[in-house]
Amino acid sequence: MSGLVVRKSFRCVLGLLILFGWINPVFAAADSGASALAGAVRPILSANCFHCHGQDPVTRKAKLRLDTIEGQRAKAAVVPGQPEKSELIRRIFSKDIDEQMPPPDSHRTLTLAQKEVIRRWVASGAPWESHWAFVPPVRPELPKGLGQRSGGNPIDAFVRARLAVESLKPSPEADRITLLRRVTFDLIGLPPTPAEVEAFLSDKSSDAYERLVDRLLASPHYGERMALPWLDAARYADSNGFQQDGDTHQWVWRDWVVRALNENMPFDRFTIEQLAGDLLPEATLSQKVASGFNRCHLLNGEGGAIAEEQRNVVVFDRVDVTSTAWLGLTMACAQCHDHKYDPITQRDYYRMFAYFNNVPETGVPSGGGQYRIADPAVPHGTEAELAELQRLDDLVSAARAAVETIERSAETIAAQSQWEKSMASASVGTNKVEWQNLEALELKSMGGATLDKLRDDSILATGKSPDRDTYTLVLTNRLSLLTGLRLQTIPDGRFPGGGAGRADSGNAVLTDLTASVAGNRIVFRHATADYTQAGFNAANVIDADKASGWAFYPETAKPHTLLLATESPVAIRPSDPLTVVLDFQFKQAHTLGRFRLSTTTNANPTGRAQISSNALAILKTPVESRSTNDVTAMRDYFLTNSPPSALVAARETASVRKKERDDYRARLPRVMVMSDDKPRQTRILERGNYEHPRDSVTSGTPGFLPPLPPDAPTNRLGLARWLVSAEHPLAARVVVNRTWQTFFGLGLVKTSENFGIQSDPPSHPDLLDWLAVEFRESGWDMKRLHRLIVTSATYRQSSRFRRDNVARDPENRLLARGPRFRLPSMFLRDLALASSGLLDQRIGGKPVYPYQPKDIWDGLSITKERDFTYPQSKGPDLWRRSLYTFWRRTVAPGNMFDASARQVCKVRPDLTSTPMHALTMLNDVTWVEAGRALAERVMKAQTGEEARLSEAFLRVCARSPSSEDMKILRRSLARARTSFTADPATASAYLKAGDSPRDATLDPVEHAAYASVCLAIYNLDEAMTKE
Amino acid sequence: MSIERTRRQFFGHSASTLGAGIGIAALAGLLKQDLTAAAPGSRGLPALPGLPHLPPKARRMIVLWQGGAPSQVDLFDHKPGLASRRLQELPESVRAGTRLSTMTASQKKYPILPAIRPFRAYGQCERWLSELLPHTGAIADDICLVKTMQTEAVNHAPGVTLFMTGSQIPGRPSLGAWATYGLGSVTSELPAFVVMTSADRGKTCGQLFFDYYWGSGFLPSKYQGVRFRSEGEPVLYLKNPDGLSAKLRRGLLDDIAALNKRHLNAFGDPEIDTRIAQYEMAYRMQTSVPDLLDITSEPESVLAMYGPDVQRRGSFARNCLLARRLIERGVGFVQLMHSGWDQHGNLSTQLEVQCRDTDQPSAALVRDLKQRGLLDDTIVLWGGEFGRTVFVQGDINNKNAHGRDHFGACYSMWLAGGGFKGGTSYGETDEFCYKAVQDPVHVHDLQATILRQLGIEHEKLTFRYQGRDFRLTDVHGKFVNGMVS
Repeated sequence: MSGLVVRKSFRCVLGLLILFGWINPVFAAADSGASALAGAVRPILSANCFHCHGQDPVTRKAKLRLDTIEGQRAKAAVVPGQPEKSELIRRIFSKDIDEQMPPPDSHRTLTLAQKEVIRRWVASGAPWESHWAFVPPVRPELPKGLGQRSGGNPIDAFVRARLAVESLKPSPEADRITLLRRVTFDLIGLPPTPAEVEAFLSDKSSDAYERLVDRLLASPHYGERMALPWLDAARYADSNGFQQDGDTHQWVWRDWVVRALNENMPFDRFTIEQLAGDLLPEATLSQKVASGFNRCHLLNGEGGAIAEEQRNVVVFDRVDVTSTAWLGLTMACAQCHDHKYDPITQRDYYRMFAYFNNVPETGVPSGGGQYRIADPAVPHGTEAELAELQRLDDLVSAARAAVETIERSAETIAAQSQWEKSMASASVGTNKVEWQNLEALELKSMGGATLDKLRDDSILATGKSPDRDTYTLVLTNRLSLLTGLRLQTIPDGRFPGGGAGRADSGNAVLTDLTASVAGNRIVFRHATADYTQAGFNAANVIDADKASGWAFYPETAKPHTLLLATESPVAIRPSDPLTVVLDFQFKQAHTLGRFRLSTTTNANPTGRAQISSNALAILKTPVESRSTNDVTAMRDYFLTNSPPSALVAARETASVRKKERDDYRARLPRVMVMSDDKPRQTRILERGNYEHPRDSVTSGTPGFLPPLPPDAPTNRLGLARWLVSAEHPLAARVVVNRTWQTFFGLGLVKTSENFGIQSDPPSHPDLLDWLAVEFRESGWDMKRLHRLIVTSATYRQSSRFRRDNVARDPENRLLARGPRFRLPSMFLRDLALASSGLLDQRIGGKPVYPYQPKDIWDGLSITKERDFTYPQSKGPDLWRRSLYTFWRRTVAPGNMFDASARQVCKVRPDLTSTPMHALTMLNDVTWVEAGRALAERVMKAQTGEEARLSEAFLRVCARSPSSEDMKILRRSLARARTSFTADPATASAYLKAGDSPRDATLDPVEHAAYASVCLAIYNLDEAMTKE
Repeated sequence: MSIERTRRQFFGHSASTLGAGIGIAALAGLLKQDLTAAAPGSRGLPALPGLPHLPPKARRMIVLWQGGAPSQVDLFDHKPGLASRRLQELPESVRAGTRLSTMTASQKKYPILPAIRPFRAYGQCERWLSELLPHTGAIADDICLVKTMQTEAVNHAPGVTLFMTGSQIPGRPSLGAWATYGLGSVTSELPAFVVMTSADRGKTCGQLFFDYYWGSGFLPSKYQGVRFRSEGEPVLYLKNPDGLSAKLRRGLLDDIAALNKRHLNAFGDPEIDTRIAQYEMAYRMQTSVPDLLDITSEPESVLAMYGPDVQRRGSFARNCLLARRLIERGVGFVQLMHSGWDQHGNLSTQLEVQCRDTDQPSAALVRDLKQRGLLDDTIVLWGGEFGRTVFVQGDINNKNAHGRDHFGACYSMWLAGGGFKGGTSYGETDEFCYKAVQDPVHVHDLQATILRQLGIEHEKLTFRYQGRDFRLTDVHGKFVNGMVS
């Protein structure tokens, strides 16, 4: 159905409903005549009937569809105004199990109340309209005639109109301290300081609150706080998830979000840059980074993972996140079949999929060790760092140009012709190299392994298996000349997987090999191996980099040969032993278990032919008779195999420049971003299975939503602009609703993740639409929207529970009082840090590693592919805001309870209350240390028990304790003092919590006693609640 | 009277007087689902209204997860005919169409490697099992061996995630979370759903355990499994801070409660009442958990049953014993995650080692539950995310370096107790241990069956999220009648 038809039928039904003059149900439209009974009926039919009588033709039974007015009218399922003639009514009230609907085996049942709603709806004429959320919002008139109270804004007009219908009065404004603390947490995620409390209390001007809000909106901490729900939606984390769980640099994207929010980037731009920043003309680095939104997905790099399967999973995830975050729709259902409830077909799904299917990616991350990044990615850094990278890039280009110049120079051409003459008599073919085993005289392992010589001249390492080791081997040598050294790895059943190495995988990484004779170092020119693990080349053992090495995973159980050629033949006296030092610095016991060393005198020890047969054939052809191809081939052969020294030097320079550049780039973060550089043909996947592609589709948006403009780009940029277009019914509503949820705990539509037919009806539909239109027409101004909400009288109400409405409205959906919710755990930690003075307020940057139980990642340490010891930060990084805590997808931080696991998109927060939370806040060093620091702070600032306790309470709860409160606090302090006095050692022990220094001049018993009371204050319900 | 109860009474009252006169507003209110937890201060977590759907055969469950995937070829699925086919190529016709991991999908040859150790008949039921499983053999008459398990997953993490949550992609609630959400729990001294992990001592396997294997997905996080750790503190943040005595802590908690009560009176939010109760439970947990973990009171004879490893904290054997102690204390769902079976290249050594680590304790747990009369209504499940290929991975002639790859088209798990038929096997596979030829049991089917034994109809236990009613079995799963009595 086109948008036009939707709107037309909507108006028609609207008229019908106004005509009938519906009284509205509690949680459906109070201030709209539109959706009364039809609004109540739709979710019932949707949940219980559409599965077999809905949109999906595959599962449709009896050719009956109840999701359209035509379907209902056909077969007299619904006869408007005549329930007794309607088959639907007969069937749902039927007691006959063969007739009953829904059928007993469907496991769906209608309650009596639901049946009654349906009956009344039919009796009333069975009005049916388009689902409200699929019709673009139109700015409703403000309700009138409610008496303009001071301080109210348009939000209040809608809310009060609704309350008036229920004969409820709004609550009075919260007291100023409560309001200050509420809005400060809501806008910057931190508690107000005593000075801020004082300033606000003493500001008697009529716009004191508005100016407070403006100050908070301008705070650099605003972006940090407002980023949090967005990071949950974007499933942002600092690692990939799954086995290996490699780290990523997506924090650069996180910083982009904080910055964009602080700069109050309009939401349409916020959308376009994140969905399609890479596709903008002349995209800046910042815009490319923004597109990292769709690269914050899980990545599975498990051995054996089928890359294409994983790639499809990633694309599915992009569709899910985008549709949840902007459309408030669960498109995932249509991955396998047409959506059961919403008008989304499987074709729609894959048309959406096509937008995200052109990324030059494999589906699995690459790289070993700590970081595992899946391309495409861009390097990122400070301006200075990026300038330095550019400079190094330029040097690489210059060095490469120098190589090319020399290659084309007259000198080189002359050298080639000279060489050709000299090679005229060269031999062809691979030479056979004779090797002489070296016998061990003295074997030493620095790490304490036992090295033994076996009868076949091989060397075996047993016993202790240190993480890193250096073998120093003194070996006999029977040859008088040395041109090459050979190391053979020998697989052995004694080692894991029957490999030649001692690592768990049977692998080893030889990071360095040096040899010397009679104190003279032997210089190797060239290294080669019959097999090399990706990234672990043979040349690494003779390069200057001590960390790089040669390895042979996964072919660990096969013998391998590493060959080293000396720069020039080395003359040795046979009586002089050869000393070979093998270095294994890779960690995790990547040492060799069994191997053999031998030497040769062959002039070409790495087995290279003197000249290939092809080259020789060309050589023998007179220059003037050679074909163009021959000329090129000859030239390449010469330049590769016998380059003049000037060229060797230039190449060396180029390789050094490249290494410098690469090393520098490796130190910079690489942010995964989007790109459309690999167009793919998208096909509908049968049951979502990538192995069963069916019809081809092109990118496009779901048919039931307004069409794309005809000239819109057919890529993500077109999609992003469409989402934030004026005609779009969903994006503005979805975003405004999530914003409402941020402040009130629940959205106006409770199911903030779903605006589809199965969604919860909005409590205040007109308010939602008004806000959506207002938001869009304001230029998608986010700060303005936040200001509008927090300056409303509705927001400013007291949150005290009221006897007169608690039973009727336990979730406070009518908004007869202000919001009261426990603060998210990230805020609770920030509260402790801020109030105690420990908080490090730096904004942005790499994730940090605050206190966690030291074995928090022990479940991961089973893998020895990298070190999973928790790298706890030192110094100020311990006390950064929770936003910056390193988020490992497989093991979330232990003290961040109820937080999104950041695996999939999450837009509705979870607030539960369990004993685990209590244990965390009572015993985690984070809070214990904060208690100690807070105690120290107030002991130094104040004298006298009451003053000190009062300030501690004020710093946490923003108010001074009442005299009753004070009585309890003093009792608590007295008890603690008695306890610590009785055993002063416990006081010292208690004060050791955390790394922050303690003022040693404070009496330990007193300090400990105050610290324990401060910890109790953090654990008060009032402290942990926004009220 | 708490406000919460007031609300319930209101709804109760309205429902009973439902009649023609009731306004549409009240009707709409009635339609709202009311699934909130019981009044604060009650013991444990309440069951959902209407649950269990059926009289339960089982009231508890213990999962003995064998991560990395044990080889059914070598341990459970006896194919004497394969011995003579050693080294023979697995026929293309048999292999065709079965998905393999990329570790062997491009292997050029698929030579058959028969079971590396002999099988023997055990028990009155004459169940053929590997001689590496003598203790499992001794309980053969108590277990139901399912030989035709099926999964689509070819990799570990997606495989475990599918078994535990019904989907290969992380993010949905786990079996234990669903069960706890539906059925509640009877204890408030201990978490309702407990997880413990162990690994083979050599850590040869490399299989990791992620939070989402026991997560609550979109269910409230109070239903997620609580991990008891084998190192450091058994439960995160269980111990009082250094220097803070239990007595002083008690006093501080009393003060916190006193201040919270004052606040409750002022604000009237029932959440405050819940908070007070949760802090009390936290306090009780501080003693009940150490008590649970202290096995010194266990008689020698019981410890001996579980084998010498029971003395080592963090071992699978110790965890099996603790599983029994948890069950006895009212914990409804215990999930032991053991890792060690991913034998791609070390089958010849690690198969035996893993059997030694797990065979005796697993069997001991079943016997121990039985002798205490707990087995009848406790489901014990043993198995991993998939099985392993009948053909060799690596060089068949190099037994020091070869093994078997992942394989999900048919593999074995066993169940005991909770109404599962002891002394039986379910399903038949072809002569190559490569296809289920009779009674295949998909992961979703076993999930449906397990839930049914717990009194839950898998299609009815749903949770509305993102506009869809999700369930453990996704859109699949059928109850397998043949496994249960």
